[in-house]
Amino acid sequence: MVPTIEGKTYNFVNSGLYDGLFVLEDKETRTLWSHMTGEGLYGPHASYKMPVSNLLQMNVAQAMAMDSDMVIAISDRPYKNGTGFTNGRWNPENLDAKLMPAFVETLGDEDERLDRMAMGLGIWTDDTRRYYPTETIRARGKYLVDEIEGRKLLIVLDPLTSTPTALYWNTDEATIEGRDILLDDGFKISNGVLYDSEGELVEVERPQQLFTRWYGFALTFPGSEIIE
Amino acid sequence: MKQLDWSYSREALIAIFIVLLVSLSQPAFSVTPETFDINRYTTTGAGTFETFYVDKTQTLRSAMADDLVDDETLLLVTSTASGNLALIRDQMSFHHIAQGSSNALDWMVTF
Repeated sequence: MVPTIEGKTYNFVNSGLYDGLFVLEDKETRTLWSHMTGEGLYGPHASYKMPVSNLLQMNVAQAMAMDSDMVIAISDRPYKNGTGFTNGRWNPENLDAKLMPAFVETLGDEDERLDRMAMGLGIWTDDTRRYYPTETIRARGKYLVDEIEGRKLLIVLDPLTSTPTALYWNTDEATIEGRDILLDDGFKISNGVLYDSEGELVEVERPQQLFTRWYGFALTFPGSEIIE
Repeated sequence: MKQLDWSYSREALIAIFIVLLVSLSQPAFSVTPETFDINRYTTTGAGTFETFYVDKTQTLRSAMADDLVDDETLLLVTSTASGNLALIRDQMSFHHIAQGSSNALDWMVTF
């Protein structure tokens, strides 16, 4: 997101809960904002939309493959190297997670087509909002090909992080081979990065996407399609 | 006095009615100020998490050399005006918000 409004930097905090999700509040005007869509929901800047872009999840090896000049910011909070979690606040692998009562109290009318805590990849464009449950992707061989507004969309479960990701790519099938995802014409995704048959890195376009629990996506984007 | 062309007006009204019907039958695209119900908002948890204000970065390569991260450390990566920026996912599960500025352009990450 870009927290600049009319040329001025705004400072944000987590101010509370709505629909079981954290709500952003800017300190300057106390407007409440959606942390998914970047839209002002309540207060002086209601309806203002901060530009949003993708936040990609990957490990260090993948990040280095993607961009060896990448920089990192490390805070003073404890953390764990590797794939573990030190504080257990957010663990997508925990399928038995329960939403705490304080979160439940803020929920609107839930979409019960999926379990509340199901995990999946939500994507949205100007005209489409769609949810791909992780279990669906796994059951279909850890990848699936969809079409959005006339463009082929490849959704894969990353072999290294088990995180689903979506990219626009004209393909009909993929083969998971160890840590690589083999595509048509010698292209492959390795370490989360797309390479051509010559081994050259290929830039890809991705729709806006978020790896999230069903309840939050469904309440933020009512009536979303589910790919099952 | 100009006579109203009722046949034309009727068609226009039908068209407007159809447009209204279609728009009303579409679910809202997302939570909006119009659908936001302030009575369901709670300040529970406010102040629990600290926004991470980023004022310094280092190359990922140097962080690896200093054993601050290893190949498996999970990251969140965003694009800023000066290139890709990584944050440690485990830390962001506490902060939830990180913000800073690159090349005089603000950025913010929420998780």
